[in-house]
Amino acid sequence: MIQDISMIKSAATAALPPTVRLHKVNKAFAGKPVVDDLSIDVAHGEIVALLGRTGAGKSTVLNLVLGTLTPDSGTVRVAGLDPNANFLGLRGKLAVSFQTDRLLPWRTAVENVELGLLILGRSKQEARAAALSWLERVKLADAADKYAHELSGGMRQRVSLARALAVDPEIVLLDESFSQLDHVTSRALRADFHRIAREFSKTCLLVTHRIEDALDMADRVLVLGAPARIQLELALTERDRLDAQLRGRLRDEIAAALGEEESPPAPS
Amino acid sequence: MRGRALTSTHPSMPRAIAPPRAPMTERRRETIATVAVVTTLLVLMEILSRFVPDYVMPSPGAVLKAGKEIFFSDTSHVFITLARLTAAVAASMLLGLILGLVMGMKPKVRPYLRSLVVIDTGIPALSWMLIAVFWFRDPEVRIFFILCVIIIPFYALNIYDGIRAMPKELVDMIESFRPSRWHVMRYLIIPHIVPYVFLTTKSVIGYAIRMVVFAELVASAAGIGSRMNLAQSTFRIDQVFAWTFFLVVLNIVLQVAISAIEKVALKWRPEVSVR
Repeated sequence: MIQDISMIKSAATAALPPTVRLHKVNKAFAGKPVVDDLSIDVAHGEIVALLGRTGAGKSTVLNLVLGTLTPDSGTVRVAGLDPNANFLGLRGKLAVSFQTDRLLPWRTAVENVELGLLILGRSKQEARAAALSWLERVKLADAADKYAHELSGGMRQRVSLARALAVDPEIVLLDESFSQLDHVTSRALRADFHRIAREFSKTCLLVTHRIEDALDMADRVLVLGAPARIQLELALTERDRLDAQLRGRLRDEIAAALGEEESPPAPS
Repeated sequence: MRGRALTSTHPSMPRAIAPPRAPMTERRRETIATVAVVTTLLVLMEILSRFVPDYVMPSPGAVLKAGKEIFFSDTSHVFITLARLTAAVAASMLLGLILGLVMGMKPKVRPYLRSLVVIDTGIPALSWMLIAVFWFRDPEVRIFFILCVIIIPFYALNIYDGIRAMPKELVDMIESFRPSRWHVMRYLIIPHIVPYVFLTTKSVIGYAIRMVVFAELVASAAGIGSRMNLAQSTFRIDQVFAWTFFLVVLNIVLQVAISAIEKVALKWRPEVSVR
């Protein structure tokens, strides 16, 4: 069942061709369907949250978009390309921020951020300058020379986000990027990411099981059932985010679609 | 509200807290233990040497004298042994690294190479020494060959294990940037296996010293092994003991040197201690 409660969609994003498109995608593992006839369009500059419980197939969808999995049927297009068949063709166009920071322990914060740039063939100097500027944007300029084990969980996740954004990708995939952090750090990081994503018009696909992550960041929330199929689609506005009553209503609606009896309390 | 000082107002809190006594570091404990063991052995040696003939157990003083003698007369032999050891360990490291990488990254070739390496580990060092005497005329080639066939499997297997232990999360992370094979090698695999290279070198160095001396004894007229052979055939047990002490010290020095290099190279690794 698809319900539109807001129907507000940015005219600008609607006018552009979708940057990420999944069309009637099916995927099964050992005969067990994990993705069921799923169709998703993510417009240029749009932030879409895929919300679902554990086992809903969210990560499979992300891997299909990433190109590390192929659909059994249907098509996946990222920036107009098949992400699996054109794996190298999407170099620099797609970046991922994972649930855990996945920093290389032998590289300092700045060296981790410049990793993607070096893979893209940028010169050492150019990569270093860009990495430092991204560390500044995520408020970690002072920690540039620190190794991963010298940083807190929140700082490491900021470095991870900076690493994904430093390659200036067209599309950013966020795989539960904020769910390992405490509520305060998570909220601060979500706000920072949202600001940066808006500033640089990034197309983002956020995979999460936390309603607050989706409400804080997404232009559109797609609630997935298991196997992955859309149970509920909500378009969000700034007003929905800021108005406590509207936000509460949305939270309850999402919780109901997820099959939760009570919506989780909003962190203060 | 202004914050209160947390120093001495609460009754349960002592007014002056003595600084905790610094715990003895592991290294200090090890040094003390080593000195104690060496001293005990020297005392035992001295006592024993008073009751048995010189050719059975020389006194520490006689060994020290022989040590001074060989230090001035046989320096070139020490350098020959060290050069052989360095060349063979470096070559084995390189070849073992290549073998380990191929085993880790080429699943089709892996079973064949792994079998080859495992068979090699089962061949006694003595067999390789005797075979080398038949196969090669040049003593340098013999010793190099013997050391390489003995040491390479250690590097190959440890590096293969290192690649197998690579966190999948890091592989997925780097793959998300769509790197070339060279990028994966340079930014992920090589840095990841460096600790395994150090671990293997530290484990193998003592064994390599024993093997190079053994190989020199069998296959060469120069080097520490050949000098020990000469000392034995001329009944200079004091020199045999002096060379033995030298080899023990050499092993300790090399271990310390490798650990120092490791500390610099792996400065990113946090020091962890378990109670």
